[in-house]
Amino acid sequence: MAVLSKEQKERYQRQIAVVGEDGQEKIGRTRLLIAGAGGLGSTAALFAAMTGFGTIRIIDPDRIEETNLNRQLLFREADIGRPKADTAAKALHTMNSSIDIEPVMAAIGTAPARDLIRGIDVVIDGLDNYPARFLLADAAWKCGVPFIHGAVEGFYGQVCTIIPKTSPCLRCIVPNPPPVRETPIIGVTTGIIGCIQVTEAIKLATGTGSPISDHLWLWDGIRQKSDRLKIERIPTCPFCGKDEYQIPAGERVR
Amino acid sequence: MKVHVKAFATFREVMDSQFDMDFPHGATIRTLLAELNGKYEGLGELMFAAPGTLRDFVNILKNSRNVHFLAGLDTPLDDGDVIALFPPVAGG
Repeated sequence: MAVLSKEQKERYQRQIAVVGEDGQEKIGRTRLLIAGAGGLGSTAALFAAMTGFGTIRIIDPDRIEETNLNRQLLFREADIGRPKADTAAKALHTMNSSIDIEPVMAAIGTAPARDLIRGIDVVIDGLDNYPARFLLADAAWKCGVPFIHGAVEGFYGQVCTIIPKTSPCLRCIVPNPPPVRETPIIGVTTGIIGCIQVTEAIKLATGTGSPISDHLWLWDGIRQKSDRLKIERIPTCPFCGKDEYQIPAGERVR
Repeated sequence: MKVHVKAFATFREVMDSQFDMDFPHGATIRTLLAELNGKYEGLGELMFAAPGTLRDFVNILKNSRNVHFLAGLDTPLDDGDVIALFPPVAGG
């Protein structure tokens, strides 16, 4: 049952034609956590705000640097030195003042992951390393919250949507992550992948189509090719294959 | 026996995206990688930290199952297998 205001019906008129008033109302009731306000996170947050997700909690510990400006489209030259989370929230508010935006200046791993997820319906992964992704994805799995994974390097990107208890977990999909390093990134790729992640969030919120949940979607911008790499849930996965997961040394889920 | 190989992301910069290969009975993932190493210049350095030791991030799927959870490099190849090689990307 749709309960959109006159203003909302006007604002979202073109997409209500796609998702219906009921779908728009569901989007408005959906609370997103966007982890990271970098290339993926700023793209995802911008489109999520324009789409009308009712709550966007955006988390990032860093301040804006000049080298961010090739891809992090919420920030301007005058923002260099400012906190990413607060600056992103202000930029998003100028795009859509009718939604709730919660900036959190914290790093995954220092802030308890379960607290960051509390009250959240869907997590969008805009992180830049796997140790942080595993912390948040593990907590999302345990809290029953879908986790839309995205990552990029150069012209390549990948997306998958992890549905707790049914799909493969992030550790089934990426048991061998690459080392933490400064990744070469071109802004168009974070734009493409961030938009695919928000597409997934819209599908989950409205119950449209099927999420990318049993395979990894891979984008190759050099060859303009996308591939769906089917990945099975691993019965012996050290995380989702057992009831009691032993956290590897050096990692902590709080 | 015939095996179909697919490569993704940055591996495509040193090898073809997909192709078939023939192997004798008893071949394993290790056999396949050795063949590829000989076929594509630069692939060995990209995939191996030392002879016989894969770099940590090289993910190999046999028919949608990561060989990490099977028998690793000793996972046997079977006729009709689809082997996918992908280096997960990490940036955001």
